[in-house]
Amino acid sequence: MTTKTTKPDTYAIAWRLPLIVWQGLFFVGPLLFMVAMSFFLVKNYRMEVALQFSNWQRMLSKDFFWDAYFFTLWLALLATIITSLVAFPASYFLAFKASERLRRWAIFFLIIPFFTSYLVRIFAWQVILAQSGVINAGLSYLGLGPWQMLNTQFGTMVGYLVLCLPLAVILQTFSLANIDKRLVEAAHNLGCGRLRTVFTVVVPLAKTGLIVAAVFCFILSFGDFVSPYYLGGSKPPTLSIMIVDTSKSGQQWPRAAVVAIMMIVTLLVVAFTAIGFAYRKRGK
Amino acid sequence: MAEPLVVFDNVVKRFGTFEAVKRMNFEIREGEFLAFMGPSGCGKTTTLRMLAGLEQPTEGDIRLAGKSLLDVKPHERDTPMVWQSLALFPFLNARENVEFGLKMRGMDKPARRRKALDWLERLGIGEFAERDVNSLSGGQRQRVALARALVTEPKILLLDEPLSALDAHLVIRMQGVLTKLQRELGITFVYVTHSQSEAFAMADRVVIMSKGEIAQIGSARDIYRTPASRFVAEFVGRNNIFAGTVNAAGNVETPAGTFTLDGKARPGDKVSFVVAADVVSLSVTKPAAPNVFTAQLISEEFVGSMVTLFFEAPGDTEVKVQVQERSLEGIPREPGQTLFLSFDPSHAHILKG
Repeated sequence: MTTKTTKPDTYAIAWRLPLIVWQGLFFVGPLLFMVAMSFFLVKNYRMEVALQFSNWQRMLSKDFFWDAYFFTLWLALLATIITSLVAFPASYFLAFKASERLRRWAIFFLIIPFFTSYLVRIFAWQVILAQSGVINAGLSYLGLGPWQMLNTQFGTMVGYLVLCLPLAVILQTFSLANIDKRLVEAAHNLGCGRLRTVFTVVVPLAKTGLIVAAVFCFILSFGDFVSPYYLGGSKPPTLSIMIVDTSKSGQQWPRAAVVAIMMIVTLLVVAFTAIGFAYRKRGK
Repeated sequence: MAEPLVVFDNVVKRFGTFEAVKRMNFEIREGEFLAFMGPSGCGKTTTLRMLAGLEQPTEGDIRLAGKSLLDVKPHERDTPMVWQSLALFPFLNARENVEFGLKMRGMDKPARRRKALDWLERLGIGEFAERDVNSLSGGQRQRVALARALVTEPKILLLDEPLSALDAHLVIRMQGVLTKLQRELGITFVYVTHSQSEAFAMADRVVIMSKGEIAQIGSARDIYRTPASRFVAEFVGRNNIFAGTVNAAGNVETPAGTFTLDGKARPGDKVSFVVAADVVSLSVTKPAAPNVFTAQLISEEFVGSMVTLFFEAPGDTEVKVQVQERSLEGIPREPGQTLFLSFDPSHAHILKG
């Protein structure tokens, strides 16, 4: 038998090359460097190439790291749950009750927040939530305030919702709108009341989209620096704040790398588990 | 007969300015197999959906067993439906799909499980009970949908073109399954279809609909032999329609010839009548029979042992003749051949309007 030599498809490679080069230079390269850096040492504020586990040992054995880790995990989880729950009724309305026209306008308005930088929006919220801000001015006038909102977990959570909510509503609306309406009718037809249908039929049918929306919320809020810093007052610190603090104080880049790697691993595990669950087929 | 099971009382349904159903009045008898038939957009599915509560009538009242359904929510009605798309829940397996209605009625787990399995067994798909519905074949999915609708033992079952997605040979088989089920259970089946063969094969009575109105209600035989209007005669398809004027002798003059019909008509009246394709006789020489006319053979079409011959009579009149292939021996059948056609006066049915 003659073996056929396959000619490399230069055309296909040429088109892929820019992406591969870009990703290699600016994503894979730095990522590998960061992993390597986590084994470096810092002496006299200067980094030295080394292969030492001291950074890992130091970070992972300290309570302040694990406190920040679980605090960040908790905040991201809470933001995910709150966002999903707040978004669902709105998405349900847009997908099932609203007219085609209203739905189009609503999606348009949900995209508008992305016109301005997230940072700018958070500064705006600083003004709104401040001790002498708009809300507290109103509350004081009614004799109900002022309330400390800025530099609290509440502030952080407001920021996370600003970040996640529009995206969650868009993703949920699309997945709910794709549901075959006849299945909803079939549920009613078989004696399933309206509210019960939402939980027994609509949610299982939209499962994939709902989970994808939740995963986005988790990823965005878990890694966010802006909200916990500017609205949450960075106390206690989240992991992203810890990275900034560690790298600034004492030039401890290797230790910051350890924190970053821990975050990446956590996000990968959460995302893969959730997506796996979202696309899981029933056993045959 | 006692109070009919379902009464449509002056029911009108409008979608915006479009009148999908125009003032419908009819009854569905207990235990009958009623088929709604008509071209798409005639309002047959809307009628069925109003019965299930998936659409609200704009005007009028629908009564089930003597009670008005107007204020009864869809999920409070006991009018299960089988969808054209089947609408099986993809996240449940076959048994869980069948159990759904029982679960909603609060039946406990072991009881509803047993009942669901009984029904799947009864429909011959017991072995697939734990299978994912998407892994089943069209015919099997069909049976799951039927079991899901029937498991709650309703008085009435609604079917919305349930066989239209199946292969031809499966359709025949499922027709057998449906008629057998209906007889055994003795419940009312309301069946919507655009297929004449499905409706005529299964239904006790057929409702022919056109543009939101009932064109005719009757047995398949009634509709075929004595169509109420030109629309019905044309829709049924296997009829020849002649139109003409009554002459002084009381006969009807048409472009195809002059015909003697049973029944009275005044000279000068315009008359349309139908002659079924299977009552027209053929011969090479002029027969000694009434109502003879000549026509030119255009083409022929075989369906099993039956053959349908398409003729053109004078005045562009299309004539269909349906006969057993065997009975055509000795009759030349080249296209362009002119033959003598005839029918008995008693076989002509005069159309009203």
